[in-house]
Amino acid sequence: MTALALGLGLALLLISSGLLDGGHEQTVADGVRLGPGDVVIQAKGYQDSGTPDLLLTAAVLTSVKQFLQTPPTKAILRGMSARLLATGLLNSATNASSVAIVGVIPQDERSVSLIPERMVEGTYLDSNKAPGVVIGIELARKLGVKVGSKVVLMTQAVRKSAAADKASTGGEMKSTLLRVSGVFRTGLQPIDAGVIDLPLSVAQTLLGAEDHQVTQIAVVLEREGDSPMVADRLRERLAGQPVEVLTWRESMPMLAQILRLDHSFNYVMNVVVLTMVGLGILNTILMRVLERRYEFGVCAALGLRPLQLATMIIGESLALTSISLALGLALGLGMNHYFATTGLDFRWIFGHSLPPALVFDPILYSRLSASRITSSVTVVFVMATLISLYPALKAARTELPDSLKVL
Amino acid sequence: MSYQSSKQSASQAAELGPAGASRVAVDLKEVTKTYHTGPIEVPALRGVSLRIASGEFVATAGPSGSGKTTLLNIIGGLDRADSGEVWVAGHDLQRLSLSELARLRLNRIGFVFQTYNLLPVLSALENAEFTLLLQGVPASQRRERVEKLFLEIGLDGLENRRPAELSGGQQQRVAVARAMVTEPALILADEPTANLDSASAIALLDVMEHLNRTTGTTFIFSTHDPQVMERAHRLIRLRDGQIVSDETRESRQPQITTTKTAG
Repeated sequence: MTALALGLGLALLLISSGLLDGGHEQTVADGVRLGPGDVVIQAKGYQDSGTPDLLLTAAVLTSVKQFLQTPPTKAILRGMSARLLATGLLNSATNASSVAIVGVIPQDERSVSLIPERMVEGTYLDSNKAPGVVIGIELARKLGVKVGSKVVLMTQAVRKSAAADKASTGGEMKSTLLRVSGVFRTGLQPIDAGVIDLPLSVAQTLLGAEDHQVTQIAVVLEREGDSPMVADRLRERLAGQPVEVLTWRESMPMLAQILRLDHSFNYVMNVVVLTMVGLGILNTILMRVLERRYEFGVCAALGLRPLQLATMIIGESLALTSISLALGLALGLGMNHYFATTGLDFRWIFGHSLPPALVFDPILYSRLSASRITSSVTVVFVMATLISLYPALKAARTELPDSLKVL
Repeated sequence: MSYQSSKQSASQAAELGPAGASRVAVDLKEVTKTYHTGPIEVPALRGVSLRIASGEFVATAGPSGSGKTTLLNIIGGLDRADSGEVWVAGHDLQRLSLSELARLRLNRIGFVFQTYNLLPVLSALENAEFTLLLQGVPASQRRERVEKLFLEIGLDGLENRRPAELSGGQQQRVAVARAMVTEPALILADEPTANLDSASAIALLDVMEHLNRTTGTTFIFSTHDPQVMERAHRLIRLRDGQIVSDETRESRQPQITTTKTAG
């Protein structure tokens, strides 16, 4: 029973860690794909001001593209997408709503964004030239539009530069007629109600930007863990340029903070679970030591030294721990494999009332790294060893000749 | 005094020990022991002095509460005297640490308990070889020595039985084998026949006496049993924690006799 309790403790630790890490990985993956990517390159100051006039130069765009297409970055790159961002007002025949405009090159955006995968009506943009637009389901509902409907997008033209601005249309209100080519649903209300994707060239024309001008370059990597490395190399490469290179933790600090908070909460929960398991084990081992007082008395009377008695208890405890860890690993890894392949379907638990705030995909897949397994096993092993010290001390202090009395 | 230094001086003690005599197995001087049960003090030994030579076959007798078991426990290093000197095989037990006492018990003293005190999860052979295991004797030698001893004391064929599968007499013989197998200088037996029928008791005494005669091992046992007392070569009677008589029955036995009876 003790081995089972300890094994269950480890299994629970592995399962909760796997689901938590899987959930976080999924959240981050979805978050970066609905946001600015694992790494984002944008004009200096854009993160704080969000001013649409802050645009990247052609030199930066070229340099970043070259960097991403060379090894070793090429091997870990999932995709990149140059985007022109602005805000505007989308009007239908019956209503109007403020929107975040995202001008994209459709084929690039498909490799980066989650929106193309979340189309519920129509199709995603398929051309950089056609004046189509994809909108969120809630926005479509609000505007009363569907695929094929016409909408008018109004926005303020960007100011390319102070010198050029005098001769350009910078700052003027401009509008264009677009046809809804698709409707998406991400599950995130702010995106479903307020984001529209349209071809980059259309956005550039509308905003009065030049061909090469974009607001940001979103980079999505195969592994989120490579973000800091890629960001550092980009910073080195773009040193001296008026740009900022941010990892997703820097570009989406709120998400990073929520995940940190969730991690902390999980650590607390793990400590609670392990403490409960630990106390149970301590109680069991201690009871066994007390039950074996006679046996220890006989051993001590025959010449087993106190230190040997203590070592014997610790040795037994380690053997028990090893069996427990094997059980826990088998159970924990087995369950993790199930959750990693089949997933934990929250729709089954929550029905359709699933809050979309953090979990974008209702099926949660477990992800368990080797380091997480090692640390979990180490924690349980150390805990079990420490727990055995008190009973070992108790056994070492077996009092003769009282313990020899047969009860 | 550490066990090591005590061990080093063992030969000196044997020659120049407190009695100044050779072949002293046990030497007690004015040993007292009082048990405390809450506010109540129960004196178990009141200034017992006793010397037992190597190779003696000694019985201590007396009514319950006379101090027999306490005396054996103190000689065996299972309990500490409150005052006085306790010398066993040249070692001053009062000065030894718990570890040193354990080592002394392992290497120099064998125990036979009234309730056998065999480990129920081990077989007869494993019980008997347990002390050899603690001494670090290789498995093959352990088995050989135990099997030889089992043959000698009539336990052959019972090696793989658990204590629960043995009669009282057989269990006690396993306990004797466990005590004897390390060839200790001294064997302490606390009422070894108390739970045995007459035939088993006699058989056990035969075994113990035979071992005493053939190996020269010193035997000290406590008893209530008149037939056991009769078999002893020296009978020490205790009452109220004091030695009231000390008789030697056989001329060959005592090389050193009791120096003093308390009270």
